[in-house]
Amino acid sequence: MLAPIAVIGTQVARQVARVGALARFSFSAFQAWGTLPAAGRRVARRVFLNQLWFTALQAIPLVIVLSSILSFLVISQAVRELGRIGAVELIGTLMVVAIVRELGPLLTALAVAGRSGTAIAAELATNKVMGEVDALEGMGIDPVHYLVLPRFGAAIVSVFSLTILFDGVAILAGLVAALANDMSAAHYFDIVLRSLAFRDASVTLIKGLVFGTIIGTVPSFHGLAVRRAATEVPIASSHAVVGSILAIFLCSALFVAVS
Amino acid sequence: MGVPPLSFEQVTVGDGTPSVVSLEVPGHRAVCVLGDEASGVGSLGRYALALDRPPTGRVLVLGENLAELPRRAALAFRRRVGYLPAGDGLLQNLTLYDNVALPLRFGSDRSEIDIDGRIQVMLTMLRLQHVAKLRPARVNEEERRRAALARALAFDPELVILEQPFDGLTTRAAAQLLELARGGELAVGARRSVFIVGQSLPEVLKARVELRYRLARGRLEPEN
Repeated sequence: MLAPIAVIGTQVARQVARVGALARFSFSAFQAWGTLPAAGRRVARRVFLNQLWFTALQAIPLVIVLSSILSFLVISQAVRELGRIGAVELIGTLMVVAIVRELGPLLTALAVAGRSGTAIAAELATNKVMGEVDALEGMGIDPVHYLVLPRFGAAIVSVFSLTILFDGVAILAGLVAALANDMSAAHYFDIVLRSLAFRDASVTLIKGLVFGTIIGTVPSFHGLAVRRAATEVPIASSHAVVGSILAIFLCSALFVAVS
Repeated sequence: MGVPPLSFEQVTVGDGTPSVVSLEVPGHRAVCVLGDEASGVGSLGRYALALDRPPTGRVLVLGENLAELPRRAALAFRRRVGYLPAGDGLLQNLTLYDNVALPLRFGSDRSEIDIDGRIQVMLTMLRLQHVAKLRPARVNEEERRRAALARALAFDPELVILEQPFDGLTTRAAAQLLELARGGELAVGARRSVFIVGQSLPEVLKARVELRYRLARGRLEPEN
């Protein structure tokens, strides 16, 4: 009779413990900014730049393609359909609220989580399985400083920058869609800029930072949580992506609720 | 007599039949503890560096119990000990040169020129110059082990802990590795204290390892 309740209770307790461990891990990653030894900064900076290359620069084509296709399709449909009922002015709201503020940060974060989140988790899990993490500890190097902090920083900078890129490209692709549907560039920019408020821009940028923090910590946490079996590496990658996507959607919903 | 570089005090190891190990590694000596995987011998090195905590007992390294130090202090203290983990623990995305340089770059304020000088000495000593720019996956097992030892000796520590250092090596390579770990000879013995754990020790090396123990059936017994 009580067995199912016990099973549910155990599962809930396990999940709560995992969230607690993730929160502690995130805190230690933040804390690592301040405790990185001066001598280690040069090495950490090099790892950070490598990560930035992989996470941000190599993701630029993907973000441009996603953003331009999404924006072109949405705006060309909107201009056509809203034009019929004389409500073409609403494409400004559509562009700012739906694309710039909501979908821009969300899709950018999902693209980075799928692309780099798996890579971070798999790389750190392999480091762990190969005994590299223990070797670092044995040399007196904190794995959080050497492995986590540069990836954490690079993920924040990357998602933040790629979100700006996504939104910029989306606005330009929207312009192309508007021109293709006989709307002048001046009219398009007038509508979009009238709808774009400082608050929308700030929410977008804050989302970029928050989603970057999620992608910087969740995959690292799952990657370093493996023990010594190679079979745990793909499991860690899978948990990392699922966990990141879930956290990104929950935060996105939270932003909508709060703002 | 000074403080022994490494001492295990009533430390429990092993799963099936746990053993209680009390052992001192005297200065300027090479000491080895052999045993099969189930004996838990592989844990001794990790306990010494406080990478794991023993269920009971304590380990003193250079007179200090690392398990009781705050994390930052323990990390800094570990730089005084050379550690060659089982496998080798080299970072796969770095060249052998960068692997050897890593502890110096991260744990010292030396300039890059000073670090390069030290690394060149280490690479020459360990005959790794021709493969220094290659990553671990592109060199053979002996070269990887040499690189891992070079990294362990980067700070010229007075105590070196070697985990299964000779597995898969030729007798000649194993002998060279041991001599490099000992760091030369002084009137009192080896320049460094060396603590080796593993499953076997090549016959020809027995003369160069002053104290040998075997951990089996819950007991630590001297071999010599």
